[in-house]
Amino acid sequence: MRNDRLLAALAVLLGLVLVAIGVTYIALDEHDIPSFFPGHVSHPASHHHIKHGIAAIFLGLACFAFAWFRTGPREERVARPG
Amino acid sequence: MVAAGGQHLISYFQAIVIGFLQGVTELFPISSLGHAVILPKLLGWHLGQDKPYFLAFLVATHLATATVLFIFFFPEWARILKGLGRSLRDRQIRDDDPDARLAWLLIVGTIPAGLIGLLFEHKLRSLFASPTAAAAFLTANGLVLFAAEYLRRRAPGAEERAQELERRPESETSSDAEKRLATLGFREAVGVGTAQAAALFPGISRAGITIGGGLFVGLTHEDAARYAFLLATPIIGAAALLKLPDLVGHNGDGVRGQALVGALCAGAAAWFAIKFLMRYFQTNTLTPFAVYCLFAGLGALLVFVF
Repeated sequence: MRNDRLLAALAVLLGLVLVAIGVTYIALDEHDIPSFFPGHVSHPASHHHIKHGIAAIFLGLACFAFAWFRTGPREERVARPG
Repeated sequence: MVAAGGQHLISYFQAIVIGFLQGVTELFPISSLGHAVILPKLLGWHLGQDKPYFLAFLVATHLATATVLFIFFFPEWARILKGLGRSLRDRQIRDDDPDARLAWLLIVGTIPAGLIGLLFEHKLRSLFASPTAAAAFLTANGLVLFAAEYLRRRAPGAEERAQELERRPESETSSDAEKRLATLGFREAVGVGTAQAAALFPGISRAGITIGGGLFVGLTHEDAARYAFLLATPIIGAAALLKLPDLVGHNGDGVRGQALVGALCAGAAAWFAIKFLMRYFQTNTLTPFAVYCLFAGLGALLVFVF
């Protein structure tokens, strides 16, 4: 149970980071995003990496879904006769 | 907008032909992208397939195909979405809820292909958009379909699926087909879904690769086709919606009328194609499509190379 909580907490943290990265990609142009982000260019530009942003947000949502189910009730499996 | 010389960028006749072609080939396991690259070249049409206006035109035909897929499988989608809601509410995917399980199988199957598509679609399209490359990949698609039929005989068969169904608790809300599809494992769903990404190569069919993947993990032809079409709907629809601004924006100038006509033709063709295929796969195999791809690909290669 303790491991489940820890994994869920890590997934939520990772999800938040990924959503933040996604929003950064969508909101800022490729020159303004941090230089360590893939797709950063040093010259002035107006292009936004929308697809990178959407991909990061979807991965973040997947992390949230993982955490949601991980901390949910477990179905009790009953052995079926016969 | 018209091209220099007073000609339309895409004529209405060309829009009708490409619309019908797209609607049929998107769902038949013979690659829509490959045919969209090869056929205009064979007909001597200079459509500028890598130009923004042509891509804007294709957005409309893809959106129409995805809409038709959604409408055709609407009863399934309604049950799947309700199952998804139940699983989120209960915070678990219950064994007696195949709709919920199928919803999550489709989600985990869509994520890898969606990510690969988002990140590499443009690069792959630029690299392999030539008719010669598309013909080579169409030939490869034929070989993949042959391989899928061959490997199907080694896959876990209907008997194992029946045992798995027997083991699961009864569900009153799901159809028999959904119950069978819900016996897929999550790893299998990820594998089949990831294989979709191969369709980014023009000439490799998304439907073909996912039906082949379904056969490989032990589904029947009919169930594999149903799963492939359910899996295709969100990814085709999302890709088209993502590029909809191209059609609405200045890239769509001069082709919006043609795009509407092409979309109507693609939608009509997709409807009949899906009706035909769901009946066809009840008793038939991928082999005729494999033969077609092999000969069409090799034939086109000969024309383009010599």
